[in-house]
Formats: sequence, C-alpha cells, structure tokens
Amino acid sequence: MSARQTILIVDDEPQIQRFLGHALTAAGYDTMLAASGQEALSRIAAHEPDLLILDLGLPDMNGKEVIERLRLRSALPVIVLSAHDQEMEKIMALDLGADDFVAKPFGIGELLARLRVSLRSRRNPARTDQIRQAGLQIDLGAHQVSRDGELLRLTPKEFDLLVALASNAGRVMTHRKLLDQVWGPAHVDDVPYLRVFIGQLRQKLELDPARPALILTEPGVGYRWAEPEGAAQ
Amino acid sequence: MSTPSFGGVLGAAMILLLVAVGVGSARHILPESVAVLLFLTAVLVSAAAFGFWVGIASAFGALIGVNFMYVEPHFTLHIARPEDIIKLAVFLLAAAITGLISGRLREQVDAAEGRAAALEVLSQVSAELAAAHSPSEVARVAVRHLNALAHGPALALGPMEGQLRVLASEPESYLPEASELEAADVAWRRGRAEFASAQGWSGSKLSFYPLGNHIPGQPPNQRSPVIGHARIAPDSRDRAWREQAIEVILRQTGQALQRLALTEEAEAERRRAASEEMRAALLASLSHDLRTPLATILGSVTTLRELGATLSPSAQSDLLAAIEEETERLGRYVEKLLQLTRLQSGMEVHLAWVDAGDVAQASVARARRAWPNARIETQLPALPMIRAEVGLLEQALFNLIENAVKYAPGVIRLQAEVQGNEMVLSVADRGRGLPGPIAEWLASDGMTRPPLGAGLGLPISKGIATALGGHIRAAQTPQGGAVLEIRLPVPPEHGPAGPQA
Repeated sequence: MSARQTILIVDDEPQIQRFLGHALTAAGYDTMLAASGQEALSRIAAHEPDLLILDLGLPDMNGKEVIERLRLRSALPVIVLSAHDQEMEKIMALDLGADDFVAKPFGIGELLARLRVSLRSRRNPARTDQIRQAGLQIDLGAHQVSRDGELLRLTPKEFDLLVALASNAGRVMTHRKLLDQVWGPAHVDDVPYLRVFIGQLRQKLELDPARPALILTEPGVGYRWAEPEGAAQ
Repeated sequence: MSTPSFGGVLGAAMILLLVAVGVGSARHILPESVAVLLFLTAVLVSAAAFGFWVGIASAFGALIGVNFMYVEPHFTLHIARPEDIIKLAVFLLAAAITGLISGRLREQVDAAEGRAAALEVLSQVSAELAAAHSPSEVARVAVRHLNALAHGPALALGPMEGQLRVLASEPESYLPEASELEAADVAWRRGRAEFASAQGWSGSKLSFYPLGNHIPGQPPNQRSPVIGHARIAPDSRDRAWREQAIEVILRQTGQALQRLALTEEAEAERRRAASEEMRAALLASLSHDLRTPLATILGSVTTLRELGATLSPSAQSDLLAAIEEETERLGRYVEKLLQLTRLQSGMEVHLAWVDAGDVAQASVARARRAWPNARIETQLPALPMIRAEVGLLEQALFNLIENAVKYAPGVIRLQAEVQGNEMVLSVADRGRGLPGPIAEWLASDGMTRPPLGAGLGLPISKGIATALGGHIRAAQTPQGGAVLEIRLPVPPEHGPAGPQA
C-alpha cells in the first residue's frame, strides 16, 4: 500500500473540523485543516494534498470561487459539503469541476464512500474496455451491451449516455456534464431531453425500471451510476 | 316657482296699504305720475321680497289703488273716460312686468343661496367623513348633519349580534319609538329605503335608508348600518336643495363606510404579509443555525459506530464531548424556537412594569453559566421602570451576548442608560464589527428576510424589541467593535426622575 493520502478539510465550523479530523485519521488518511477559502488555496499550493473537502458556506469567499481558482492550476479532487439552501451553488460547483458532493448532515460512511471513488478515479483514470456489473456486460470497444449473454439493443445516443455514466461509477454526473458529453455544448440546458433518454435506458437495463438500482437519480443535480458491489474493499 | 306663503301675501298687502295711505293723504300735492311710480315701487318690493306670485297679486292691488284715487270718478272703481282704460291697462302691464321680473330674480337669488348653503354643508360633511376613523365616527357625522338639514331627529343604527342597535343619534338624548325601530329593521332586512309615513298618519316619523352598495337581486349587505332622518316639511321653501343634500350625505356616508372597510382589509393584509415575511426570515436563520450541530452530531455518531475500532481512546472521548456540546447547543436553539413560536403566533405580549437592570443581570448570569470563560462586564445604574415582558427581554439580551461571545474575542460590555424617552440596553464587544448587510437589516423597519449569517439570535432579538414597542440598532465602538442596542420606550409617568419627583 502506498503512503497515507492527505485530505484538506476546509470548513469554518470548528466542530465539523473536529469530528472530520478524528474520522479521517481513523479511516487511514492524514488531514490538514483550513477555515477559509484563502487559507485553503495557500495550503494547497504549499502541501499538495490528495483531496479537498470543501464546505460551500465559507465566510470569505463562496465555494464556487475556490473551485474556480483551484481549477486554474490543479485537478485536485474536490468533494463539496452543501446544505439544503445551497442547491444552486452546489450544482454550479459541480459544473465548475467539483468531483462530488455530500449534503449536510451526513453519516461518515457516505463521505468515506465518495472520498474513495474520487481518489480512485484520479489515481486510475484509464478506463477498462469491459464493465461487468449486476449481470450486465458492457463492451465499450464493440459498442455492445448484454445481460446474461443476451444482447440488448441500444441506440448510439443511449450507448454514449451509458458510457458517460458507467465509466464514472459512484460519481455524480450533473445534467450539464452529461448533456455536454453526449449531445455537445449546444444542448447543455436540454434537461427534459436527458430525462427521456435516462428513462429509455432504465427500461432496457434495469431489472425493475420503477426502482432503478444502476442509474440513480440525484434530484435536481444529475445522475449517479451505482458503485459496483465490493468496490468499497 | 314657489307657492306664495301666507306671510308673503300679508307683507305685500301691508306695503300696498302703506303706499295707498301715503299717496291718499298727499294726493293734492303729489302729481299723478309720481303716485303711479310709488305704486310700481310697492309692486317691485313685494315681488322681490316674496316672490313671483305675490308680485303679480300686488300688481292687481296697485291697479285698484290707482284706479280708486286717480281715475275719474275719484274714489270709485268706475272708469268714466275711455282713455283711462288704456292708461290703467298700461299701468297693469308695467306693474305685472315689474312683478314678474323682480319675482323671478328673487327666486333665483333664493335658489343660489340654497345651492351655496347645500355646497357648504356638503363640503363640510365630506371633510368630516374623510377625517372619520371608525364606523361610529362616520355615523355621528352623518346624523349631526341630517339633524340640521331635516330639522328633526336623525338616527344611525348598526347590526350587532344579528340585531340593530343605535350607533348614534342627534339629539343625543333622542329615544326612537317602536314604530321607528320597526321601520329601520325593515329597511335593513330588505336592503331598501323605508319612507316616513305622511303627516297625521300613524307609523315611523323618520325615513330609513340602508347604506352600502345594495345590488338588486342579491341579499342586502346586512353588515352596513341604516340611517334615518326626519321628514322635511312639504311647505318649506328650500326643501329641494335640502333633499338633494340629504341624498348626497347618505351616499357619501355609505362610501366612507366602504372606505373604512377597505382600509381595514388592507391593514389586515399588510399584517398578514409582514408575519409571513418574518416566518420566512426566521426559517432561513433556523436552517443556518441548526445545521452545524446536527451535522456534527450525526457525523460524530456515525464515526464512533463505523470507525470505533480504529479510533484512539482520546479521539473517542473527544467525539463524545462534541456530541454533548452540540446537543446542548441544539437545546438552546430549541428554547429560542419556542420563544419564536410565541412571537410568531400573533405576538401576544404581556407587558408589566419591569426593572431593566434586573433583567440585564439575569441575562448576564445565564450567559456566564453557558460560557464560563467569557468575560462580561456590566454597567447598570439605577434605571426607571419600563413596560416589558421579563422573559422576552431577557432572551433578547441573552441573544446579543451570545452573538458577541461567538463572534468577538475579548471583553463584552453590557450597559444600560436612558436617552431622551428611550431606555438603551447595549452590548458592546471588541470584535471587528457587524457585517454591513446584517447591520443594515437590523436598522430596517419590520421583519424582512435577514441576510445569510444573521443566525437565529439577532432576528429573535429584533422581533422581541419590535414586539415590546421598541427597536434594535447596530453601532460601533471607537475601536470598531460591534455595539448592539435594544431601545425601548420609557413611559413618561415613570421618567428618569422616578415617580416620586
């Protein structure tokens, strides 16, 4: 196993820093703390952490601004902590390049899961040609999807959408990101369109399309391809 | 054209008689032409004074006088010479035209005076109705003028618990008869006028009119009052304009009542909107202040459960301490929420005489228990009593202290003093001052949505200060620290010098 990874916690509430510090240490990470956006940026420049946990309600600058300035020079994974009344800011943060979000209040298990996904995808960005999950077999090179050996018929757009989701397993994909990736930048606002395709994809892929287990909805934000079981280990 | 009155006829006869006697006694020295002019003058005066018909009648009287005294044979009404017939006919024509013109003139003057009087009354009524602030004031204005215009008692009756009750009467001691109450009731229930019975008949002596806009075919507006006034004597000379004025007054009274009802509705709507605004404001603060303790508690508990085995003993006890502290913090919020619920539900405040110094001491004591390390100084001279509710005022001050403890290091100073007719209770800290938007929001009128970061404490303090009839103000110390002042009115009878001075 490589050296311990360092997480920078940016939150102005000392109580949040306190329990996150204990939890992340116990989970095997090193932690650094910052209480403001400015402090966070200078700590990142000096210490190069492996991941940033960023509260959106900072006193000096909003989280969106931190991400914007950070992305000018770094691809550091960012998980934002958001509250219910910061919905818009959360979406903008994700569109600007934050990797994922956790809504306050949250259980530590949820945060650690997001953390693992974000760290893994950065460490190992090369995607495999074959994705196997829940009886599905997706062959990216051959543009083929089959369940239990039986070939499923997908349109090219449906397949592109499937690839965009499944190759980011465990990570939230915002509406904008998906629309941009599959349909192009001219269609980033066509959310109803996206909904229709997600519905079709669920009909073809999900065992019970009414209760999706693969394509999960993040209300108002986007969709998340379920993390394969056993990935937590 | 008005009908001649008995007094008018008598007056004209007297004038004619006077001229006749005068002319008769000086007959030998007065030339005939002068005598004729004197008779014409009598016709003119009578017509001008008593109107057209009296003028015409007195023209015939003058004709007889001239005939009697100046037409041969003298002192008879016989006319001997044919040319005298022409002379008398010309005289009659001149007298009749004189009577006609001056009579018409008189009536025009009368009408103009009546119109002027009516206008004066009406403009006074509009001014008084516009200044009236309650339906009973409106009713009083209406009955006073109706009494003056109709020369008789006037009544306003309004529904109370399904029955008509007298709202106002003029003269004030007037007791309506059973027949009048009955007529008023009929007018009210049917939504149409009920006229007074004619003179000499039994029944109501007053006419009653329901006010408010009655739409035919719909049930009458039974929330509006009914107004009654005496019948105007049918032979009164200015009856026409009086009736018109009464009609206008009734209409204006109805409009004034409608205006009051609308104003009341608008005021109720404004209050509803303000309380809605406040609800939104406090909900916004609520989510902000509850979030952190909840996130800390949930995060700590799940960390202990899921990572307990790998946590060091000191980390475990620190997490438990965090849970304890944050639970206490939540408890304080819940306490504030309960205060808030009271403030929200109609602001029912129970004011009593309160020593603000005692209340301030209590809030400081509570703050010292909550934050044993905080340094809080007080400067509380002997203070006049004010009207307040102890629990609310204590909470408002506690919130200001809590704000200072949370956001500013160093000494916190609570002081009280009287400035003019206000009691100023202020909490000053040595921090960097309030953020601009929060200070601006505190200074604004009413409860609008507080800016992000205002928390729950300051909005509650503002709400309490407002509910106690005062306001909250933000200032700065010379060093730039925040000063938050709760300013409450000092009742004049318990001014700074105290009641015994």
